[in-house]
Amino acid sequence: MELGRDVLDKLLVDRQRRPMGRVDGLVLVCPPDEPPRVTAIECGAGTLGARLPRWLGWAVARLARRFGARGGAPYRIEWSRVSRIGHREIEIDVDGPRSGALATERWLRDHVVARIPGA
Amino acid sequence: MKKVFEIALGIVTSIGGFLEAGSVATSAQAGAGFRFQLLWSVALGTLALVFLVEMAGRLSAVSGTTLAGAMRARLGFPLFVLPLVTVSLVAWLVLATELGGVSVALELASGVSHRVWAIPVVVVGWLLLWRGTFGVIEKGVSLLGLVTVAFVVAAVRLHPAWGAVAHGFVPTRPTTNGAHYWYLAVNILGATIAPYLLYFYSAGAVEDGWDEGHLGVNRAVAAIGMCFGGALSCAVMIAAGVALSPRGGRVDSYAQIVPTLTSVFGHWGLVLFVLSLGIACLGAALEVALSLAYLMAQGFGWNWSENAKPRDASRFALVYTVAMLLAVIPVVAGVDVLKLTNLSMAFTALSLPFAIGPMLILMNDDDYVGAHRNGVVSNTVVMLTIAAAFVLAAVSIPLVIVGG
Repeated sequence: MELGRDVLDKLLVDRQRRPMGRVDGLVLVCPPDEPPRVTAIECGAGTLGARLPRWLGWAVARLARRFGARGGAPYRIEWSRVSRIGHREIEIDVDGPRSGALATERWLRDHVVARIPGA
Repeated sequence: MKKVFEIALGIVTSIGGFLEAGSVATSAQAGAGFRFQLLWSVALGTLALVFLVEMAGRLSAVSGTTLAGAMRARLGFPLFVLPLVTVSLVAWLVLATELGGVSVALELASGVSHRVWAIPVVVVGWLLLWRGTFGVIEKGVSLLGLVTVAFVVAAVRLHPAWGAVAHGFVPTRPTTNGAHYWYLAVNILGATIAPYLLYFYSAGAVEDGWDEGHLGVNRAVAAIGMCFGGALSCAVMIAAGVALSPRGGRVDSYAQIVPTLTSVFGHWGLVLFVLSLGIACLGAALEVALSLAYLMAQGFGWNWSENAKPRDASRFALVYTVAMLLAVIPVVAGVDVLKLTNLSMAFTALSLPFAIGPMLILMNDDDYVGAHRNGVVSNTVVMLTIAAAFVLAAVSIPLVIVGG
């Protein structure tokens, strides 16, 4: 498995295969004298910003800190929660709608969309 | 039998949904200024579009993923930003153009300024997105759009010199007014090869659950539907070439395009023109707004579906809502709608390498399309066309901005 090709930017789905974002970043630990290990998946604008050229990433990170859920801190999924790496999607053993991955979706639904008639 | 029905419906909706503000305006301008001489640019754009629509459908049928989702996964986020940003900016311009087109149609019918009409237009358009389903928007509006076939009737009844029409399909250099000629060629390419259509088509294929069994339907709809659609654009140019050409050659407002139909249908021509422009632009506006929402939602892995209630796909619904709000601003502010149309179409042409280049990468990747990957012909036609559109746009946009 190649992390860049097979994991990064893939669609994340929860245990009922509902979309819950994409793999915006990966957390690796590199213990001395051991091969590096992936410990977690990260989702969030701040993580995405760090992958962009510096001037652009800085602007994205600032916006994420100001307006993002958790003050722009990324949502982390422990690697042990990964239940399946499929061809097009990565399945995570969580309940998507309740997880932090959908915090922004929930906030916008409750504070904006649900207040508009007909939603 | 089911397949035949699917193909027929696909073709009919492609025809009804083909024309929009850009194709009507730029074809009419070309006809008025250069009679049939620019028909080749419609043909070239349509040929590229046939290949591109077929590709978008094939990608989704074979891989089961959407165009935007596949782009993000294949290119990675840093490169995905390029199509994301360019397509979003161009989509905003085009959406403003289409909302302006509906408003201008209503102004022609009522005499009340299009700046006033823009508000009810955006509200009705947004309500259709908020409450409607994919079927209502794709099939319903496109079926009503069949009224645009009036341009074909007009073109035939105006008895153009068919020899000259045939001659127009061979590219020739203009004798006078070269800058305007090439700018219109760019405009027509931009209006014909609308990248947002590809995101819309691909999302529709996934929404309708296409698989490899649909490849035949896909090929037929792309080839026949888009060719008939391109014929509508040609008809606008031919009708304008006969009806508008003697009147001075330049079109400065949508009102000046009305004689393309009134010269044949009399009073009813105005009614047909208002209905054609209004419905075609409304349909296009809905498609552009939805395409933008698809692009964002699929690129970022949000829940998306035009069949879901807004509360079940809140970020998706908010993207098209905000897009509609931002796009109506220039129309209400009184920007000249025809100038906006030309600008949007020229910038669409300029954006093509960024919007479509990544798709060509996907269409040649075994991981996504396997044995159904692109052949040499489709790769070459699309690459040459978008390269030509880009170069012509990069040269002509500064000329037009400097020269007014």
